[in-house]
Amino acid sequence: MKDDGKKKRIGVFVCHCGVNIAGVVDVEKVAELLKDYPGVEFSTDYVYMCSEPGQQLVLDKIKEDKLDSVIIAACSPTLHEKTFQSAAELAGLNPHQVEIANIREQDSWVHPDRDKATVKAVKIVKSMVEKAIQNEDLEPIKVGVFKKALVIGGGVTGLQAAMDIADQGYEVIVVEKEPSVGGKMIQLSETFPTLDCSQCILTPKMVEVTRHPKIKLMTYSEVESISGFVGNFKVRIKKKPRFVDEDKCKLCNECADVCPQIVPDEYNMGLSFRKAIYMPFPQAVPGTYTLDMESCLGTLPIRCGKCKDVCDAQAIDYDMKEEIIEEEVGAVVVATGYDLYDMKALGEYGGENYEDVLNGLEFERILSASGPTGGKVQRPSDGKVPKNVVFIQCAGSRDPENHNSYCSKICCMYTAKHAMLYKHRVHDGNAIVFYIDVRTGGKNFDEFYQRATDDESILYLRGKVSKIFKEGNKMIVWGVDTLTGQKVEVEADMVVLAMAMTKADGVPELMKKLKISIDGNGWLAEAHPKLRPVESLNQGFYLAGAALGPKDIPEAVAQASAAAAKVGALFAKDELMHAPTIVPVIEELCSGCGICVSMCPYGARTLNAVRKVIEVNEVLCEGCGACAAACPAGAAQQLNQSDSQIFSMVKAILRG
Amino acid sequence: MRVHYYPGCTLKEKATNLEDSTREAMARLDTDLVEPEGWTCCGAEYPLITEKIHGLIPPVRILRQVEIEEGSKVVTTCAFCFAVLKRANKAMLDNPTLHTRVNEYLADDILIDPTTKEKRTHFESYNGDVQVLHLLEYLRDEVGLGHLKSLVKRDLSHIKVAPYYGCRLLRPQKEVAIDDPETPTIFEDFLNAIGCTVVDFPFKQECCGSYLSASMPETSNEPSYRVLNSAKMNGANVVALSCPLCYYNMDTRQDRIKEEYLEFNGFPVLYFTQLLAWALGADVETLGLDKHLCDPRPLFDIKQNAEDVEVNL
Amino acid sequence: MFEPKIMCFLCKWCTYAGADLAGTSRLEFSPNGINLRVMCSSRIDPQHILHAFKEGADGVFIGGCHPGDCHYVEGNYKTLRRVTLFKTMMEQLGLDPKRLRLEWISAAEGKKYVETMNEFTETIRNLGPLNLEEKTLTEEGVCHE
Repeated sequence: MKDDGKKKRIGVFVCHCGVNIAGVVDVEKVAELLKDYPGVEFSTDYVYMCSEPGQQLVLDKIKEDKLDSVIIAACSPTLHEKTFQSAAELAGLNPHQVEIANIREQDSWVHPDRDKATVKAVKIVKSMVEKAIQNEDLEPIKVGVFKKALVIGGGVTGLQAAMDIADQGYEVIVVEKEPSVGGKMIQLSETFPTLDCSQCILTPKMVEVTRHPKIKLMTYSEVESISGFVGNFKVRIKKKPRFVDEDKCKLCNECADVCPQIVPDEYNMGLSFRKAIYMPFPQAVPGTYTLDMESCLGTLPIRCGKCKDVCDAQAIDYDMKEEIIEEEVGAVVVATGYDLYDMKALGEYGGENYEDVLNGLEFERILSASGPTGGKVQRPSDGKVPKNVVFIQCAGSRDPENHNSYCSKICCMYTAKHAMLYKHRVHDGNAIVFYIDVRTGGKNFDEFYQRATDDESILYLRGKVSKIFKEGNKMIVWGVDTLTGQKVEVEADMVVLAMAMTKADGVPELMKKLKISIDGNGWLAEAHPKLRPVESLNQGFYLAGAALGPKDIPEAVAQASAAAAKVGALFAKDELMHAPTIVPVIEELCSGCGICVSMCPYGARTLNAVRKVIEVNEVLCEGCGACAAACPAGAAQQLNQSDSQIFSMVKAILRG
Repeated sequence: MRVHYYPGCTLKEKATNLEDSTREAMARLDTDLVEPEGWTCCGAEYPLITEKIHGLIPPVRILRQVEIEEGSKVVTTCAFCFAVLKRANKAMLDNPTLHTRVNEYLADDILIDPTTKEKRTHFESYNGDVQVLHLLEYLRDEVGLGHLKSLVKRDLSHIKVAPYYGCRLLRPQKEVAIDDPETPTIFEDFLNAIGCTVVDFPFKQECCGSYLSASMPETSNEPSYRVLNSAKMNGANVVALSCPLCYYNMDTRQDRIKEEYLEFNGFPVLYFTQLLAWALGADVETLGLDKHLCDPRPLFDIKQNAEDVEVNL
Repeated sequence: MFEPKIMCFLCKWCTYAGADLAGTSRLEFSPNGINLRVMCSSRIDPQHILHAFKEGADGVFIGGCHPGDCHYVEGNYKTLRRVTLFKTMMEQLGLDPKRLRLEWISAAEGKKYVETMNEFTETIRNLGPLNLEEKTLTEEGVCHE
């Protein structure tokens, strides 16, 4: 031990806590008995140790009696450990020389027998004295912070987080796997409950992000791996080849004009077509074309290669290769969003086989002025204006037996919006909504729903739909009205399913790489559902948006700003303090067996194959001690909780 | 190949065309069908009664006899028997209380010893180890649809078949289903393998009226009519099924349907085994086509003589 | 009446906090156990348990977080494995494995902590004193309890 045989001078302060402790425990006796205990230099009792004079007493005695360790026998360490550590620090004592003996919560409050409680208190204090005898002065481990953030996901959540971090003056990299940022929100027509146009509010934000000097946008890119620890992450980003030089592309559309390959358009949910070389949508950011090599006919002149020929700007480069870009960041915001539950899973509703049974996002595209029909409501099969439209809520949600048990939260509102927008466009049309419950918790949400039912004469039927099938030109919808108990059969020209929100494609695999836990439904797990809703248990990772679970735009944006604020708080420090009660290696004892390596959940221990000893990354070590218990040689000893300390404490408790 | 086969009582009485065509087809697949000794009715009402023990005794007795005869599988064609046997078997596997009680009841039962043909009274308890298979499953998993296709002797492409699953092959999902209950394909895959033209129609899983034809006959007309009409509207020229009760409702009772729906002028209904046997080259006489109320024979007319029109596929 | 000595190792995040909650809830229970706070139950080495028995403990209690709740990801699983193995070893040594108890007690389970302590004290009381030191080892190195 560090004190090299030098005898420690320990001070013991027993708190009365008014009558909380003194009412049961004979505090004077405890202080008296401790006076003669080996190592104890000074022992006293005092009415309120945590009071100003109480703390002053500790401070004075440390100086007066040259104490090099103090025991405060009082309440639980969770309450005042910090208080007394600060007081001791003022007197020049290392805070790791302060120990709290818990004689209130774990003694006087639970054992009313005065004698028994007093005996127990003495033992508790003695065990802490034994610990203190071997305590070392420890300095917190300092780590630098790389003040640059990575945001994964370029939807509204990711963009908001990026803007908010960048506005605090820190650099941000946004990684988006699609060719353009914008996410799901850019596909929406109008947003509830205000009915303002989604594109109109999102595109300015998208442009702002590109123009922000602190933000680096990496679209058509994916995070390959992240290593390191909070403040010091190394990120590998895979940049997929676009085959078009973003800077040179003049957006003339000549390439797409000559491209002979037609494929379904993702932006319009496959309701229209695009070319193999394309711009996802006119306001795409970055404003550039992308050549989708999977759909391309061939770049060799013998196969096709037409687009390169017509590009005057010479922006097309068939030789572009996939790149791996490495970046260093200090924090990561995960905003990977959601996907819609697969319609194939709902066989009873046609399982994607009926063209006129749409999911919510497909209907958004039909309603959108930038959509395949220019905002005119027409059904995909024959372009006719549907006169009867059935909307089905909870399609795949709230069905623990067959699908997802959770409520997708936004469907009630967007179905009301869909039905309303449909009625605005087709005045003589009928809109029928099947629902289980209508949930309108949100600002102005219920008013919006009331407007749908009262002013817009949308028919709400409480019940589930059992089956949809085609009869000639119509869809027959079989359902039940549970309020009247009647079976309902409706002829519909079009059916819109409010499909459940579900985890985004590829997210569980990515989270496994990032060591961010996910729940049973595939949503990201927050550090604490109430008090730490935008943090991950994996330090340095912040979570926001629909990747955590179903939520609407304002909630996602609020979480984005919250995550950005958390990143700001982290970056405000130049150095991070890391608790020094880690488990280093006593190299003389270490045989390099590597057992502790497998015990460590943080990868803090590595085997140096040359020197045959374990090396410890003290920043990664969280100090759980699992390795210390596993080490067969006793080479892994936790600082200030060594085996020797535990043995002495056990002895004091059982024999003291 | 030798496999245990539970025909059920209906096949021996009303649905002899299902029984005969099954035997004909399986003989052509070189499969020996072995009926468990002393089999009884499966207790068709098991799904309907609340006192489970009584409903379980007959099917478990049959399954136990299969086990005594060292069978590991039992094949059925009747969808109702299939569902009863499979549910009973599952109950024996999953429900320890039922398992104990049913075995207690059966402890003093008398069964026929397969070797000595003598009556035996002491048996080990039955633990749900026999696998219950519908013939469609057997064809898919044991024979193999690819192999089946290679054995087809006749061209059936002019027969546009609407495959009708009914309820018993698919529900209750967790106890019975031989395929996804919402989007099943096993019947279609089978029909494709024997060369029929498959017609998809939305009523393939809807109810035929079931037992209502006995208790409330007027009510069961509508569901049966809807199924037949939907098949017809979607371009089928025959409905194929595997359940004698569905067959009774949809073929035997077609006169009643005609009385209620004047525009309906009959629609042929076949057991899938009749198509199977025919595809494998069976003589038309073996199929029991004369038993049908709506005569399906025109569909088989063109190529009545198997040897003459054998096609090489 | 025999008052057993019980050595309790509690993880800081769950069981120690649960013991504190028992205090703030003023739940009364037998005072035989004395707690030693460790960062994680996985810090407990079989040596510590043996040492406690050697120093006169009649029973040893280990409290950790519920499976899945470990602050250090999976420390409690490691503890479970060690305790399970150690109990086998106790049998070989002639110690009654009932003298060692592992329990998952969360920070919200003050009541469970109290019930467990009372129960465990009673168990040990019924088993009687261990007095390991006074026991002479047989030739095979096994103590006969």
